[in-house]
Amino acid sequence: MDALTSLFAGFETALTPLNLLWALIGVTLGTLVGVLPGIGPALTVALLLPVTAKLPPVSAFIMFAGIYYGGMFGGSTTSILLNTPGESASIITALEGNKMARKGRAAAALATAAIGSFIAGTIGTLLLTFAAPAIADIAVQITPSAKFALIMLAFVTISATFGGSPLRGLLSLFVGLAIGLVGTDLQSGQARFALGRPELLDGIDFITVVIGLFAIGETLYVASRLRKGKGSVIKLEGGATLSKQDWRRSWGPWLRGTALGFPFGAIPAGGAEIPTFLSYTLEKRLSKHPEEFGQGAIEGVAGPEAANNASAAGVLVPLLTLGLPTSATAAILLAAFQQYGLQPGPLLFLTNGDLVWGLIASLYIGNVMLLALNLPLAPVWARLLLIPRPFLYAGILVFSTVGVYSLNNSVFDLGLLALFGVIGYGMRRFDFPVTPAIIGVVLGPTAEAQFRTALQQSNGDFSIFVRQPFTAFLMLCVLAALVVPQVLKFRARRAA
Amino acid sequence: MTQPPPTPSARPGISIPDLLVALALTALGVALFIGSREIPFGINAVVGPRVFPLIVSVGLTALGVLLTVSVLRGDRAEPAAEEDTDLNAPVNLGAPAIILGGFVLGAAVLTWAGFVIGTAIMYFSVAWAFGERRVGLMAGVALAVALVTYVAFTRGLGLSLPPGFLKGIL
Repeated sequence: MDALTSLFAGFETALTPLNLLWALIGVTLGTLVGVLPGIGPALTVALLLPVTAKLPPVSAFIMFAGIYYGGMFGGSTTSILLNTPGESASIITALEGNKMARKGRAAAALATAAIGSFIAGTIGTLLLTFAAPAIADIAVQITPSAKFALIMLAFVTISATFGGSPLRGLLSLFVGLAIGLVGTDLQSGQARFALGRPELLDGIDFITVVIGLFAIGETLYVASRLRKGKGSVIKLEGGATLSKQDWRRSWGPWLRGTALGFPFGAIPAGGAEIPTFLSYTLEKRLSKHPEEFGQGAIEGVAGPEAANNASAAGVLVPLLTLGLPTSATAAILLAAFQQYGLQPGPLLFLTNGDLVWGLIASLYIGNVMLLALNLPLAPVWARLLLIPRPFLYAGILVFSTVGVYSLNNSVFDLGLLALFGVIGYGMRRFDFPVTPAIIGVVLGPTAEAQFRTALQQSNGDFSIFVRQPFTAFLMLCVLAALVVPQVLKFRARRAA
Repeated sequence: MTQPPPTPSARPGISIPDLLVALALTALGVALFIGSREIPFGINAVVGPRVFPLIVSVGLTALGVLLTVSVLRGDRAEPAAEEDTDLNAPVNLGAPAIILGGFVLGAAVLTWAGFVIGTAIMYFSVAWAFGERRVGLMAGVALAVALVTYVAFTRGLGLSLPPGFLKGIL
């Protein structure tokens, strides 16, 4: 019961009045920013990074935990009341939840989303508590070549296997890898692609890339194709509540959604989209009244929302135990760790146990806070959706500027921000997914380091990547992840 | 500045913007390849600082060529549907240009005029680009947002943002 002892120690860290305050500020800010239309969880975390810049690491990460879960919560509110998903994982919630809201059942939709998120988040965090130390114990023994193969697997699954167009996903990934190459090579001290600019010797700050691609890119793109007229926001009277019958219809989907979401978050499979779709299909099949689906069935909100949040907890398993982000949001959390000079991975449990366990404990606390905040405050959040678009997007740009400028107090970085904003615009206009690029920037340098370490150990013998059984197995998975979807597509086309 | 949106089914043939993007990506790959070859091998390292950039640039070039081929065969990208966008509205490239212009101007005067003035310029230009025309209100809100942000981040969170010529007052 090692994990429990560590967890109690973590609660001792997280339950100090000051850290509780940081957790509360985190969940409040996370929900606040997450509710704003056009800002998904990944951008929420990125924009709020400067807020934590001057905090000690433990407090900063406790606040991050709150921001992370809060951003997810806020996103579902927007989907239900506005019918505009902030990210692909909320598409289903927007579909079914907005239908419910239009029928005057917004309070029930919000409540089933909030309680479902709470249950999924808590179960997910429990699973994380017990899985993480066990995986960390095994992960200590993973060789550099296997680590490289694992990163390759994450690259391929995130960019090619689950996306719409593997070619565009891979291109996005490689552009990210190229951005990650800029700067001084750590092993040899050799400058690469710095174009003679001293500002580029340290490499390009990851936060600049994220905020440029997400926030500035989005602002430019929306401005170019602005929807005229007002989006219809559903009016909300009173807090979010559930009737007895709603409870009866929700608890099954909550648990099933959690069971689907958590494992999908924990493997590098491109985030929460797939489990939310799976959960929706499953609930429709199990439902006694499938005709309600698409017309505002409560199960169609409860299941996918739970899946979405369980997957958010699942994402933390590979992030904390292997240092492997499997979603854009996780990549930003990884960058936040690196800003503090911490490298998530199996060793972090040994070297900074108090920090990791304080973070895990604050996930439980944050979940309780979110439930307490969101049920009564739902009408307040709904108000935020009425902010006129010109003022909203202008505000996003100002906060983006603060976030990037405060990294190094450099106007040069703002120029880079504008450049990545234009690239982000192009990616939206020409249908390139943004997440693979983000993963490429963050994991590229790590992939290179493991690749080189592996070859140092084998004295330049490339066969090391196929001789070790575990590495070879992972490499086979990489191949399968590239080839199998293409074969399936080809056969489907043949059959059609 | 405005053009009707291309509807994929109605316009067969090669999409010029898509082709330009594909060629640009290929060119980027080639440029990186040329740049990689200038990186020295490194001394007494099995894998020097040069190997990985070579792999990335060759990969990028190959993928760029594949995309170019598929565009030449008639493939075209579907613009993304985001919140607050209308895919059937005419594309207005003037608005993003105003935003970028305002951003660059604000960033250029940031150190000299200070954070508040610089970001107020940015705020104003975005609001203008999004079709807001109540100039007095916009200027007021822009200054208020910039000022509150400045005070919150400098006094509240201890970041250092440039005060500019308002140094004595802020």
